[in-house]
Amino acid sequence: MLSVESVFAALRDVNDPEMPINIVDLGIVEAVRLARDAEIEIDVTPTFVGCPALPVIESDIRRRVAALPGVSRVRVSFVYDPPWSVDRISAAGRESLARVGITVPQPGSACSSGALPDERRLVPLSIGGDPRDAVACPLCGSADTSLESAFGPTRCKMIYYCERCRNQFEHMKRV
Amino acid sequence: METITADLRQPLCELLLSIADDKFLLGHRNADWTGLAPILEEDIAFSSMAQDEISHAGALFQFIAGVRGDTTADRLAFGRSPADYRCAAIVEVGDDFDWAVAIVRQFFCDHFDNLRLARLAASNHRPLAALAARLRAEEAMHVTHADSWIRRLGRGGQDARERMQAAFDKLAPLATSLLEPTDGVTALEAAGLYPKAAGDMFAYWAGNLSGVVADAHLRLELTPPPAEYVGGRRGRHTAEFAAVLAELTEVSAVEPEASW
Repeated sequence: MLSVESVFAALRDVNDPEMPINIVDLGIVEAVRLARDAEIEIDVTPTFVGCPALPVIESDIRRRVAALPGVSRVRVSFVYDPPWSVDRISAAGRESLARVGITVPQPGSACSSGALPDERRLVPLSIGGDPRDAVACPLCGSADTSLESAFGPTRCKMIYYCERCRNQFEHMKRV
Repeated sequence: METITADLRQPLCELLLSIADDKFLLGHRNADWTGLAPILEEDIAFSSMAQDEISHAGALFQFIAGVRGDTTADRLAFGRSPADYRCAAIVEVGDDFDWAVAIVRQFFCDHFDNLRLARLAASNHRPLAALAARLRAEEAMHVTHADSWIRRLGRGGQDARERMQAAFDKLAPLATSLLEPTDGVTALEAAGLYPKAAGDMFAYWAGNLSGVVADAHLRLELTPPPAEYVGGRRGRHTAEFAAVLAELTEVSAVEPEASW
């Protein structure tokens, strides 16, 4: 029987093309709607605006959901309201990223989380380094790490270096 | 407020086009550095930011296309005549692969973007506010990045300091072109679509810039742009614009139906 839950379950089979995490745990599936005539509408809120992986994600979603019995049409829309933030990554998602050495900022630290109601005042002044950017090494656990570059292999990640085990690792940007 | 009244559509599109076109051109200029930036990490950073800017422009073009209803994001990006672009002079001129010029241009533009996106994020049009808040979260990292380069090079050796000062002296007259208002912006402010800042935009911007410049032991004097750099927001562009636009639209001119 086709239901919102069964679509969500199917979407857990769709992985982000650049990280070992499914798109539900990544928190980018904002809404699933069953419209008339077994038409499925899915709203996706991208991690980064215009992320180059979006066309791949869209076609993977279409293929997986179209394979569900009774589905006649799949519509995928990319929305920016609400904006995605790292807070939307589930605990299971954080674990699967940690297994490959990708760390995620602590929940509640995203700079865009809850930004909308409060951002009615202007906060235009200086933007500096942030102590919340301190990250423990996912490989040895050491806190002796440093930011190597705020820009990494994909737009949503930064590069850190562990001074103790001398490995590089990736950390998701705190947005 | 979800619908935008008919009289505000044109002014809103003018404003959003100015932001999108600045980002589109800046992203294109910065992408020239891919493979050529001073060090590998910076190559990745600068390329990543170029990608951010072009993506931001794409999202804004998409939004504008939704408001207008008679065009598409691709047509807005590649299918306009030069007089229909709304970018400021500073993003039109090349940097001749002078890293100091590239980083100082980035510094001026990112700080200004941060301010206007903060205003848009306070818009009473929720989808616009959400998009702006999202763009600003990404843009914040550009500001930090530019600031750190300005400080590092300004406090570096004599050669670095002299080149940075030369870049500031060269771009200062162009930088203020960013503040030229778009047509109908006061109506947007009054309607709450683009709320006014508590203080003066120029003062915020100049204040943020001067703190970093002083920290870097450099000098910056912001002056109104000379006549040849005024008019970008109304479609009057610099001599260099035609060439860079031709370069940007080269593929779409050959293959107008190409999908991107």
